[in-house]
Amino acid sequence: MIMSETAPIAGAGSPTGVLEGDLVRRARDGDLKAYDDLVKRYQERIYATVYHMTSNHEDANDIAQEAFIKAYQALKSFKGGSSFYTWLYRIAVNKTINFLKQRKNKHHFSLNDLDFNTENNPDLVALISDRTPFRDAGLTELQKKLNEALMRLSEPHRMVVVLHDVQGQSHDEIAEIMGCNIGTVRSRLFYARQQLQGYLAEYVKTS
Amino acid sequence: MNEKDQNFDRLKRLLKLKQQEVPPPGYFNHFSSDVIARIRAGEAGGNQAFAGRAQTGASWFAGFMGFFETRPGLVGGFATSLCLLLVFGVFFAERSEQASDNMLMIPGTSALPAASAVALNSSTLASAALPASVPTGIVASTNPVTSLQPVATLFGQPGASPLFQPASFAPATQ
Repeated sequence: MIMSETAPIAGAGSPTGVLEGDLVRRARDGDLKAYDDLVKRYQERIYATVYHMTSNHEDANDIAQEAFIKAYQALKSFKGGSSFYTWLYRIAVNKTINFLKQRKNKHHFSLNDLDFNTENNPDLVALISDRTPFRDAGLTELQKKLNEALMRLSEPHRMVVVLHDVQGQSHDEIAEIMGCNIGTVRSRLFYARQQLQGYLAEYVKTS
Repeated sequence: MNEKDQNFDRLKRLLKLKQQEVPPPGYFNHFSSDVIARIRAGEAGGNQAFAGRAQTGASWFAGFMGFFETRPGLVGGFATSLCLLLVFGVFFAERSEQASDNMLMIPGTSALPAASAVALNSSTLASAALPASVPTGIVASTNPVTSLQPVATLFGQPGASPLFQPASFAPATQ
C-alpha cells in the first residue's frame, strides 16, 4: 500500500505527530526547519537502501545527502501525485544507479562491521543452527559472500531485491519508486532470487 | 508463486542478515544538520556568485558560459546558428561582388570575366558603339583600375609611344 501524502509517518528517530504534507508545504516555502524534520524522518531508510546497493558506508552517506539536497532543490516541482516518501525514494534510487554506472569499472566495496546484536538475531540463529555450511562460516565470511553475490546482479535486479527482501517494501511501492509496472517488479525479483540462489548455492542448499 | 517462494525461504532468511548491517550508534546524529548546512551553503554560494558578477560586471563571459554549461542542448544550437551565419555571409558577399561586376558590363555584350572587366578604361568605353539609349555616366566599380585617363603621348607627338622609340639599324654615313 502506498502511503498518502497527508498520512502521518513515524520514521525511526523522527519527530512524530506532524503531517508529512504540512512539512512538505512549509519546506517548499523555504522553511529549512520543516525540511530538517523530513530528513530526520527518512534518513535511515534512504541511507539503508543506498548502502545495500553500494555496500559502502561513505558512498551511501554521500549519495543519501545528495538525494536529500536534490529533493529540496526540486521541491517546487513536486506536484504531490505520489507521496513525498516515494518521490524522495525515486530520487535516491536514480542517484544510486547513476553512481553505480560510473563506478562500474571500479568494482570494490568495503565490508563494514555487523551490528553487535546480530548474533542474537533469531533468523541468524535459526540459520546457523541448521546443517548447512553456515555453521562453519563466520559472520564476516557470510556477509562477504552475500555482498559479493548481490554485487553480481544488475542494478535493477539488485534494487528490487534490496527494496523487497531487505527493506520490506511492497511490490506496489517498488513499482512506483522504480517507474515500472508490478509485473516487471515480480519478474525481476524472481530472476534476481534465482541468480542469488545460484551464486550462494553452497549456503542456501538444504541438507 | 507460493511454491517458488518456498524455494527461496532460505535465501530470504539469508538476505535478512543485510538488515543487521547498520552504521554505528550516533551515525545519524549530524546527518540532517549536514544536509541543511550543505543546502544553506549552496544557496549562499549561489547568491554570492550572482552578487559578485553584478558588482564587477567583468565576468559576464563567465556567466555566459555558465548559462550554456547548465543547458548543453543550447550549445549545439548556438554553434549551428554561428555556422549558418557564416555560410550566409559568404554567399551574400559573393552575390554582391557579382552584382557590382555586372554594372560594368555593357548591355548586349556577353558577360566578361572579371579580369577583362578590369582592363576596361575610358578609351575602350568611348570607342565602343553604344546605343543612344544607354546613358554614358560614371562607371563605378570596387575592382582596382590602374588608370581611366588616356596616357599622354611622348613629347606631344601623336602616335608615339611613351615607352618605345623607333630604332634605325641603317649604317651610319660619314
